[in-house]
Amino acid sequence: MLKTPGWEMMIVVYFFLGGVAGGAYFTAAIADNFGGTRDRYVARVGYLLSLPLVALCGLLLIADLGVPSRFLNMMRVFKFWDPMSIGAWAVGVFGLFTFVSSVLSFSEAPSTVALRRKLALIGMLFGFFLASYTGVLLSNTALPLWSQARLMGALFLASGASTGMAAISLILFLTGATAGEGWGKVKKADRFSMVFELIVLAVFLVLLGAAAKPIVSGHFAPLFWGGLVGIGLLVPLALDVLGHRAKALGAVAAVLVLAGGFVLRYVMLMSIQA
Amino acid sequence: MARTLAMFTDTSLCIGCRACQVACKQWNELGMEVPEWTGTYQNHAHFTDKTFRLVRFIEEPKPNGDMAWLLMSDVCKHCAEAGCLDACPTGAIYRTEFGTVDINQNTCNGCRYCVSSCPFGVVSFREDTGTARKCTFCNDRIHNGLGPACAKACPTESIQFGFRDELVAKAGKRVETLKAMGFKDAQLYGADSKGFLGGLNAFFLLLSKPATYNLPEDPKVPQRNVVTDSLLSIGSALIVGLGALLAFRGRGKGDGDA
Repeated sequence: MLKTPGWEMMIVVYFFLGGVAGGAYFTAAIADNFGGTRDRYVARVGYLLSLPLVALCGLLLIADLGVPSRFLNMMRVFKFWDPMSIGAWAVGVFGLFTFVSSVLSFSEAPSTVALRRKLALIGMLFGFFLASYTGVLLSNTALPLWSQARLMGALFLASGASTGMAAISLILFLTGATAGEGWGKVKKADRFSMVFELIVLAVFLVLLGAAAKPIVSGHFAPLFWGGLVGIGLLVPLALDVLGHRAKALGAVAAVLVLAGGFVLRYVMLMSIQA
Repeated sequence: MARTLAMFTDTSLCIGCRACQVACKQWNELGMEVPEWTGTYQNHAHFTDKTFRLVRFIEEPKPNGDMAWLLMSDVCKHCAEAGCLDACPTGAIYRTEFGTVDINQNTCNGCRYCVSSCPFGVVSFREDTGTARKCTFCNDRIHNGLGPACAKACPTESIQFGFRDELVAKAGKRVETLKAMGFKDAQLYGADSKGFLGGLNAFFLLLSKPATYNLPEDPKVPQRNVVTDSLLSIGSALIVGLGALLAFRGRGKGDGDA
């Protein structure tokens, strides 16, 4: 008779936003370092998006504790083998990187650009971390759905990438910045991440076997198959391929990817806790 | 570290009087709870934030069709390799000098990671204090030379308290006696320090297989896969990162710079 921790909506939202923030930041870091000067707008959007999201992440984590000041108890120790402990530290460190990168993204002076690029290469490691550690945290509990397959972290990272990139492309669309080639590059990277996410998800389900029951059949199955696999991954991929030239379709696809990323966290947490 | 202390719960001696459950509630000032219907005499169905000792009433069909009572006073196992302790990000869950596992209520921050990391579903979250709660092995009592309240109250010595090595030896002899008496499924659960979870400091003598008592046959430390999962996440990051890198390095039309 195992117990569930009661990590509900605040944690669902935190897992989702953490993925988007991490994904947006490392996409920005890659665009900044390896893309052309014209991709710098993409990088700036990524940095500026990750900053408020990670701030929100911190607030959600603290709020979920009930007594906010108890968050400081987490700062007493650093247990490097414990996802919950290093996760709390990483949110703070990553937050600092998003802040500095955001500030530096407003300058085009060569020395500032060079500094920003170098910092982003380090900060991006924390972005990858924030997007994936929540999965590793779940997979190291006693609960079968969360712990039977070894790919929860890898899956959350792929989802963080696809949702982070979708969020950037959506902002490019909304700010009317789809004329440059940054749009096409982000969409291309997003498609790649989505295909990879589908593959990881398939292997994850096979590895889970019977433990996957709470998500693949029963009450949460329509949300999982329809909301995540269908609307969240297959439909946006189809929209991107079919509507290659129509940017509005690309924006719709981005919204669907974001919804799918939310559904992934929702289904994983709530199916065994609701 | 002082010599390891243990509790040995011999279920063959339990009469289901629940003196242990009440003594635990009294000593630890665990408030009243609304009872729940469990379909048997057992109450509650499982450990709660206010029930640290729980007498399980299990009905097992006999070959002749009658029902037999299996009574088991269940408690936190105080695992030598404790999932809750590994999970705790504040160091609130700690191992005492006696080898038992306790939660410091002042440093617990209510994250509930321990609740999902216990292979037995023991640790419970208490809403009013916002902290994780479980059996303390009567930490206050053992530091004053007293045994845990449950063991003290037990009228049949079904719950015994003492040094672990001595209790394990005693338990081994008891299994032999019971087998000779015809209890062919009599077995120890968690006595072997080379067995699962490094052995349990609250171990049991069962009269049937562990599954009958809703106990896992081979519980594992939840955190054993952190390294594997992290490496696979890094692999995932490399693939996704490479995809993004190739996408951004690829020249679109009209792009002359790099």
